[in-house]
Amino acid sequence: MSIMQYNGGSVIAMVGKDCVAIASDLRLGNQALGISSNFQKIFSVTDRIYLGLPGLATDVTTLRELFRYRVNMYTIKEEREIQPETFAHLVSSTLYEHRFGPYFIEPVMAGLSKTPSGSFKPFIAATDLIGCLNFAKDFVVAGTASEKLYGVAEGLWESDLEPEDLFETISQTMLNAVDRDAYSGWGVVVHVITKDKVVTRTLKGRMD
Amino acid sequence: MNSFANRFSTTDHLRELKRAQANIEDDEFSDAAWGSEAGFGSLAKGVPTFSVPAVPDPSAFLRLHTDDHADPKCRIKIQHGTTTLAFRYKGGVIVAVDSRATAGSYVASGTVKKVIEINPYLLGTMAGGAADCQYWETYLGIHCRLHELRNRERISVSAASKYLSNLVYSYKGMGLSMGTMICGWDKTGPAIFYVDSDGTRLKGDLFSVGSGSTFAYGVLDQGYRWDLPDEEAQELGRRSIYAAGHRDAFSGNTCNLYHVKEDGWHFIGNYDISKLHYDGPDNVDGAGYGYDVRVGTRS
Amino acid sequence: METSFALTGNGYVIVAADTTAARSIVKMKIDEDKIKTLSSHLLMAHSGEPGDTIQFAEYVERNIRLFQIRNNYALRPSAAASWIRRSLAQSLRSRHPYAVNLLLGGYDTAEDQPHLYWIDYLGTSTEVPFGAHGYGSYFALSLLDRYHDPNATLEEGLATLRRCVDEVSKRLVVSPGKYKVKVVDKDGTREIEF
Repeated sequence: MSIMQYNGGSVIAMVGKDCVAIASDLRLGNQALGISSNFQKIFSVTDRIYLGLPGLATDVTTLRELFRYRVNMYTIKEEREIQPETFAHLVSSTLYEHRFGPYFIEPVMAGLSKTPSGSFKPFIAATDLIGCLNFAKDFVVAGTASEKLYGVAEGLWESDLEPEDLFETISQTMLNAVDRDAYSGWGVVVHVITKDKVVTRTLKGRMD
Repeated sequence: MNSFANRFSTTDHLRELKRAQANIEDDEFSDAAWGSEAGFGSLAKGVPTFSVPAVPDPSAFLRLHTDDHADPKCRIKIQHGTTTLAFRYKGGVIVAVDSRATAGSYVASGTVKKVIEINPYLLGTMAGGAADCQYWETYLGIHCRLHELRNRERISVSAASKYLSNLVYSYKGMGLSMGTMICGWDKTGPAIFYVDSDGTRLKGDLFSVGSGSTFAYGVLDQGYRWDLPDEEAQELGRRSIYAAGHRDAFSGNTCNLYHVKEDGWHFIGNYDISKLHYDGPDNVDGAGYGYDVRVGTRS
Repeated sequence: METSFALTGNGYVIVAADTTAARSIVKMKIDEDKIKTLSSHLLMAHSGEPGDTIQFAEYVERNIRLFQIRNNYALRPSAAASWIRRSLAQSLRSRHPYAVNLLLGGYDTAEDQPHLYWIDYLGTSTEVPFGAHGYGSYFALSLLDRYHDPNATLEEGLATLRRCVDEVSKRLVVSPGKYKVKVVDKDGTREIEF
């Protein structure tokens, strides 16, 4: 039993047309035993950046607190909101600080970055547990159901999806992938980020 | 230890091994190879014969390639993770099982039939090795029928389970893996016997087997009474399998429910465990078994 | 085997823990109190590695008290859970981590709500309506899914706890004999004869 599978949980992020979406399951387990069906793994960093932290649950909370602290310090020092690209590098370097005793988390980020012309560009990224960045143009996945998520997402994802269609795509991907994973599930939460709002929905997933 | 007995035994594994090695030398194809005879072609000689790997210790060889807890990458995956239960009460026997099969963390199937219908009066449940349970309980069915033909009366649940128990015991140490409940109705009334591949055989009123069994017991023990009405007994079986399907990662998908009465077993239904969570057995929105649904904290 | 349960109800949290202190195959003591009263409205059941449990529980108890002396007010349950979780998470990556599992039950006097936190030795923390640690959790959690009522009276809550205790003694091979039960509500903490 790998430590990455101890608590279970999965996250996926997808790019759409001028929007991004990020989704996770809600299970917290102790190996086979389910403990909580309301364990959030996705946190808002700014109004336009969301961060998913699948992996060991103690590190989910620890890293959430650490990133909140570091982003707050950045905001105070720079007197501006952090941009997704910058935040991705913050995540990467924070994880690499623990190269020889890592946090058991594979973060997934989704956000909208401001272009010089003032419009917004979709941004998603993921890293491994020691901070190797992976910038993707379509979707990124992590967690115990990652293989299943790759399979379903490869089949369902299309480019330039409108927010509602992206919501449907990411929801179906998540729901169907976690149903094939014993350690993920117990409900799904989806965030769709557009330039002027974030829509968060909790889905009725399988509860077994 | 039992070398004297072994010499005259027809099912001893050392003999099997010798026979298998002899077969390799002088008989390349066994009779069974020419026609499967419903998979029981190996019975032509009177006792089932199996080809055994030609290595000094066949059970260690098998263990090396099937233990998926120690090595998730091993070739042969044996089905693990299950919840099965059966209980006896005044109205007969309730048998309820889940339908999930997992290989590591992968949910390989959600539609496994874990109740084996041995004959119209006998049911066997399946936990552990799927193939082992299926094969030996079907084989048990053949012998129950032979018993019927020879003795002009149905085999008792006790005798049937003893037959299975002796059979699997003769393969002890060779890697068979099964935990089963033989349930039925005979002259003595409703009966349940727990039989496993260690050779344990227990008569009892209430059993649950599998990775989710503890969760099923939690609900089952608290709701169980001998004089349960039929409706409530079926509900208890269903509710207990739901409880296990919910909490145990390796149990779930659907619940198969059987009721054994004096005239044999009846299939009551197949219930989606997620539907039971949200809507309950009668498919009423918000009448589900789920904790959040029951106490109303979720929209 | 060590077992502890906790459940919330209408305006209270019940925390129960077995009272056996075992070493190897021997019961060294049968009336050990494994539930610490951290402050006037906060209870903590602790189980795990012998030695670590007491040391960590006392460390927490002293620090919670220190906060109260310094600031003239007590930590609310959520804040206490947060601090305790962080202590465990930091200890996990130290040379000698505490192997302690906790159930933290408290009554928030500011918002008049009971709170229960399930915390394990890794520093995993989550708020739950009911929780359990040890082998007993494999029997009690499904039972509580079925019978727990967040609006139950104290008597009903204790009856549900009785079901858990009975079930564990019925099914667990080496089940604990006696339990200590404590309750926290708006009037503070107290022990209940069970």
